[in-house]
Amino acid sequence: MEQKISIALAGNPNVGKSVIFNHLTGLHQHVGNWPGKTVERCEGTLYYKGYFIDVVDLPGIYSLTPYSMEEMVSREYIAIRNPDFVINIVDATHLERNLLLTLQLLELQKPMILSLNMINLTEKIGIEINEKELEEILGIPIVPTIAIYGTGISKLLNAGIKLINNIPKASNYKIIKYGKEVEDEIEKIILLLGNINSKYPKRWLAIKVLEKDAAVKEIITKEMPGVLIEAEKSTILLEKIHGHDSSVVVADERCHAVSQIIKKVVRIEVSLRVPLSEKLDRVFCDRIWGYPILAIILALIFGIIFEFGNWFSLFLENIFSGVIPWYENIFGNSLLALIGQSAIDGILAMMFLVLPYVLPFYVILFLLEDWGYLARVAFLLDGLMHKIGVHGKAFIPLMLGYGCSVPACLSCKIMETHKERFLTAFLTTLIPCAARTVIIMGLVGKFVGIFWALGLYVFNLLIVFILGKIAFKILPGESTELIMEMPDFRTPNIKTILIQTWLRIKDFIYIAAPIVIISGMAVQGLYAFGLLDSVADFLSPITVGWFGLPAATGILLIFGILRKELILLMLAALIGTVNFLEILSPVQMITLAIVSVFYVPCVATIVVLWKEFGWKRAIAVSLFEVFFAIGLGGLVFRALTILL
Amino acid sequence: MILTNLKNGQEAVIDSVTGGTNATKRLADLGLTPKTKIKILRKALLGPLEIEVRGAKLVLGRGLASKIIIKIY
Repeated sequence: MEQKISIALAGNPNVGKSVIFNHLTGLHQHVGNWPGKTVERCEGTLYYKGYFIDVVDLPGIYSLTPYSMEEMVSREYIAIRNPDFVINIVDATHLERNLLLTLQLLELQKPMILSLNMINLTEKIGIEINEKELEEILGIPIVPTIAIYGTGISKLLNAGIKLINNIPKASNYKIIKYGKEVEDEIEKIILLLGNINSKYPKRWLAIKVLEKDAAVKEIITKEMPGVLIEAEKSTILLEKIHGHDSSVVVADERCHAVSQIIKKVVRIEVSLRVPLSEKLDRVFCDRIWGYPILAIILALIFGIIFEFGNWFSLFLENIFSGVIPWYENIFGNSLLALIGQSAIDGILAMMFLVLPYVLPFYVILFLLEDWGYLARVAFLLDGLMHKIGVHGKAFIPLMLGYGCSVPACLSCKIMETHKERFLTAFLTTLIPCAARTVIIMGLVGKFVGIFWALGLYVFNLLIVFILGKIAFKILPGESTELIMEMPDFRTPNIKTILIQTWLRIKDFIYIAAPIVIISGMAVQGLYAFGLLDSVADFLSPITVGWFGLPAATGILLIFGILRKELILLMLAALIGTVNFLEILSPVQMITLAIVSVFYVPCVATIVVLWKEFGWKRAIAVSLFEVFFAIGLGGLVFRALTILL
Repeated sequence: MILTNLKNGQEAVIDSVTGGTNATKRLADLGLTPKTKIKILRKALLGPLEIEVRGAKLVLGRGLASKIIIKIY
């Protein structure tokens, strides 16, 4: 008989949770948002021993407080959506820190399995975990796993199936007791709560009252008005005894409970050898040398991508060079055929011009992430990023922005607060993506000089920095400080890297490409009817009068909203040559490149901004960038005219 | 004395955390509660500190780290 069940994966960040998720679901997964929240929701399915299993990969979290969206989403999912069982994945090499969350998950009183991951590394760092003893203490099945090799994955599922079939639900866990003073207060509050109607266990609610959890207080006030005031007497009492905030008292008790468990189950063999990861850190995170090494690594990345991308791009172009002539042969030059051709042009251009650069870029980036280097970059650059109001982790979306702005904006979810997410997303739209690189390199790099092109990248970073600083001051909301676990360097896992890359490329193919192609056909239609000429005329005071560019750039800039690299392609089509020196002076080229980089996010990026932050903010960002680029373009043109 | 005053490799115990309950709570959730042993692994030239606490390595922004009052034992 076939049965549908659902499971949730929970755990700290960086414990191999997504690797296990990938093993379970393969490519049968989709990434979306939790309803109404900019928190990534990964869901996938698999079929195992007669079960259709729906797997939800909850965000990586350290706790179950209401302060972060990720933690709220996780606890609500486990308590309210009631999955058949929860797999809590813990990093066996950092058991103490990981068990802090485990205890909180246990308090939700759902059937649970502990996946003791990276069990193969415990020996290396000189610890030994007594699994039997741990199983005894927690009262839940423990399955040792080595996610990167896929070891133990089916055991996890087997344990889960046993759990839901043989054992009555939610009876296997044990209650980990806090100290007597805290337990007394928990008891009191449980009594007060009586028969409260809530999907959360009463004991959990009581603990959360002591932790001053605003969301739980709301639930109690709604269900049992009046009880809260009585319950809060307990928090006051605890604070009197301990002299700390009662939430800290509870956290401290939890830490204490965990360290007691650790004392019982973990045997540490003191080793005097410095671990390899620490040795690497002494080089890569060195106070001084860390920075030149970072610069060299970045230069290498861009060098490799540029070389490989050029080769790959040419390779693809040769393969598909026959498509357009073939199309024209069949469909001719009618208006409808032209619109259709713009769709094919769009698909081809993405294949030749964007994919060859975006693909290797993401492979290398996720290789560095999986290895552990990106966390080091966040560490090295945190101070710098703080100057623009975000912390070190924002480096990752910004870096992704050099590939394609769409996945870059989507990846801003890694930031903690709404303000930081929006600010980072805004800044990523200003980073020259692969399409804008086509303009910078194809125009400035080729005809003005490579140093001018590189100079534009530096100039771009300067502008991003200044705008970030201003936006940080203006935007409402709060920013947080960097709190990040430093993962050990580890051998990168090819499968993880490829799946991560695929997920981003998927954003590019499924979100960016259709929007771009469809709107491209619409604009092509307008163009064919000659409607864009009047737009160009209308824009000429700006394009000609202020930027000092030919009037035709008005049309280019309209097309550029679809895909930035169209600016260059259309220019070539309009003048019938790729020798742009015929119509543009070096100063004009630089001006056009700068305007192209900043003047508006492309249509696909605007849609993503809209989805993530609402249409008001999407429009605000777009309009700001239009006016900003207009101002900047004219100034640059004048300054360069005087200088050169 | 505050955490940022420590030198690389120095150890101490947490005495208390100043600032709002939010910062206190976040740190407590990560196991940084009073009397916890803490060791500075390294400080970045630009800002944050890497510390070792409860057998794990954590990076804290400098602003947050300067809210942690410590005692050298």
